[in-house]
Amino acid sequence: MTNGFVAMAWAIAAKDLAIEWRTKTALVSSLVFAILVLAILYFARDATAVSSFEMAPGVLWVTFTFAGMLGLNRAFLLEMENRALDGMRLTKATPAAIFFGKMIGNLVFVGFVELVSLPLFILFYDVPIWTRLPILVAVMIMATLAFVSVGTLLSAMVVRTRFSEVMLPVLLLPFLVPPVVSAVQLTWRVLADRPLAEMTGWLSLLGAFDVVFFLLSLLLFEAIIVE
Amino acid sequence: MMPVDASVVATDVAWRVGYRWIIKDISLQVTAGEVALLVGGNGSGKTSLLRVLAGLNKASRGQVSRHGGVGFVAHHSMLYDALTGRENLMFVTRLGRGRDPARVDELLQQMGLTAAATQRLATYSRGMTQRLAIARALLDEPGVLLLDEPLSGLDENAAGIVADVIQRHRDAGHAIIIATHQLIELVDRATVVGFLVSGRLAAWEPIDGRDASGIMHRYRELAADD
Repeated sequence: MTNGFVAMAWAIAAKDLAIEWRTKTALVSSLVFAILVLAILYFARDATAVSSFEMAPGVLWVTFTFAGMLGLNRAFLLEMENRALDGMRLTKATPAAIFFGKMIGNLVFVGFVELVSLPLFILFYDVPIWTRLPILVAVMIMATLAFVSVGTLLSAMVVRTRFSEVMLPVLLLPFLVPPVVSAVQLTWRVLADRPLAEMTGWLSLLGAFDVVFFLLSLLLFEAIIVE
Repeated sequence: MMPVDASVVATDVAWRVGYRWIIKDISLQVTAGEVALLVGGNGSGKTSLLRVLAGLNKASRGQVSRHGGVGFVAHHSMLYDALTGRENLMFVTRLGRGRDPARVDELLQQMGLTAAATQRLATYSRGMTQRLAIARALLDEPGVLLLDEPLSGLDENAAGIVADVIQRHRDAGHAIIIATHQLIELVDRATVVGFLVSGRLAAWEPIDGRDASGIMHRYRELAADD
């Protein structure tokens, strides 16, 4: 990977983040959505039947997945405004550099939403997390990578369709079942302070999804952006 | 402006959407110092042909070769509303290799946009946006310029700026193709004219001193034969 490649990818990511910071279109809606989901699911449960601890892993990943999806939708809608994606394709930036740039921008966006949501999650669900935070963060990074890889590809695919906001979840959610299930299983084990040996299977599965989703998305991206 | 060795050559090019052929069997060659006007009615395939020549649409059949890099001004500005004029050009500069950022200021000045450089694109008028889109296309000093209705939305003063830019690039040896309905302003700068009728290049002829009405007369003849 050349310096030029990295510089181009970073320029694309920085542009996306600068625009999002100015407009805050997806950021505000994602954060509000995350807070609402955490609060509603907490107050909706019957505290005498289900402990918050049992619900916590599922709630955490439902929140991250759907809040992150709002940002992914925005990523390529931005490029359809004035057909800016055509402009990028006319530069020396390769499709791989464009994919990396969009993916880095999405990773920072989703990572920020997760970072803000996590303390709220800890507050609402009162989970014993502080000593296990490093491994939980590692799980979050691995699951987010799989989510963002395939999400970046699919958001580029659906953006030219009508009702792209509806199409993205319809196409993306089936792909997310394996990494999200792995993440939920791992989160439950982390919170329950289970030994690492109980997690290696799920960690391997999540790692495999990361590699496969990332490589496939990278390979298919060029075919998707060429008309 | 340095002389350039530039050309764009299309050989039996066709492009389709689904089963519908938008352009068919188009062969043309525009070399250094030539300015070609593309004339045709709405839906005749002018924009599609320019997009194929630019490499944005992949030809379904035939071949396109380009020498000297391509600058493209399309119907859409290909710019970001939330960025300022200068930021938009700097972003494109960062996606090149070894381009001089000073060229951004030079182009902003050429296009009369220096004062508006720090305003967001969303605040620009249609004419200002079009001038910034032209500056964007010229950033990389491309040998081939493809312009789709470059005078659209421009007032007399701005149209004059753009016509001068076209003249200077022609004199410097760039190959230029312009799809336009505004023949009066551009016909003096052109060397050849192509007539697109129903997706086919019905004729490709030297201007030969014809004025805008002469070209439109010829177009009506070709369209009537179709």
